Amino acid sequence: MNIKNISIVLTVLLVFIAAMVLMQKGNYVDQATEHYNKTTEASFKGGKKILEYVNNSVDVNKLVWAMACEAIQTVKTSQDMAKLESKYFPTTKGSNSIANKTRRFEATSAYFIVSSFDKVDVDKKTDLKTLSGLNSIDVNALMGEATVAQEEPEGEEEEEFEE
Amino acid sequence: MKTKKFKILAIVDAVLIVALVVLMFALKGQYNDQAQSSVKEQVGAYKATVNAALQDQWKSMDQYGMAWKLVYATITGAKTEAAFNAAVQNIFEDKEARFKQVSYMYTAASIPAQVQNDIAAVGLAEQFLLKDEGGVKEVACGKNCVAKFTFVKGKLKSSDYKALVEYKFADNFGIEAPAAFKFE
Repeated sequence: MNIKNISIVLTVLLVFIAAMVLMQKGNYVDQATEHYNKTTEASFKGGKKILEYVNNSVDVNKLVWAMACEAIQTVKTSQDMAKLESKYFPTTKGSNSIANKTRRFEATSAYFIVSSFDKVDVDKKTDLKTLSGLNSIDVNALMGEATVAQEEPEGEEEEEFEE
Repeated sequence: MKTKKFKILAIVDAVLIVALVVLMFALKGQYNDQAQSSVKEQVGAYKATVNAALQDQWKSMDQYGMAWKLVYATITGAKTEAAFNAAVQNIFEDKEARFKQVSYMYTAASIPAQVQNDIAAVGLAEQFLLKDEGGVKEVACGKNCVAKFTFVKGKLKSSDYKALVEYKFADNFGIEAPAAFKFE
């Protein structure tokens, strides 16, 4: 009777251990899979985010470059420049500095161009001041050589062009 | 007679239990090593793919930046082949300015300096001027992007940088999601 009980217990134990042996591999596969998924997912998300951020940001850079290239060939006045700005960036407008005879267009704080003009024109009827004779366009910000933007003194900005 | 059978069963059970326990410990070490090396290998391979994509983008951004500088120099400078050749050489050889420009674009895209440094370890683009035959010059303006300039008798006849203006970054740079883990 005693040996009968022992043999039954040992058989049950044997089945239990055999089951453990069979499940052992599954546990390692699960643990390894979990670690792999966690690590690669983090790498995927991080890499994707970098690519997207750069892709999106450089799309703006591209438009500012294209605008600067077109501007230097076609623009004569600050009004022409304003028209070109609205063509490339319908929701962003540049601003004139009559004192400096420049017009600054800032697509983002990093990507901006500053157009320099030769003279200030004054409309006799409206007394509105505009700039004419495009001289050069400063594209330093597009070449990665931007300096800290200077705030224009108040009262010197005049938006002369409205579509 | 029955007792004898149970005795044999108990002995067989005990032997099998011992054997299974030994087997279990042996497999434990084996599975552990296997799992670690499989994970290391597959995670490493995936990370290498991600890094390659990021480095590909970095080098393309360098070509893109150089191309715009060249286009702008061509528009604003002398329209001669000699001036163009000099501009290509100056732009390509000024590695400091190239790095500065690419890094500026990454900073503008909110990529931290440490991350930029990791990507930048790959270096800058090896190629810029792709073709220079009989007055026809082609420069790389990014991955799958070529700008073309044609000169006749040393004078600029045409500039074609449409590919640069229409370049779609999102179409050229992406990362595939990781494949399912294989326990090998």
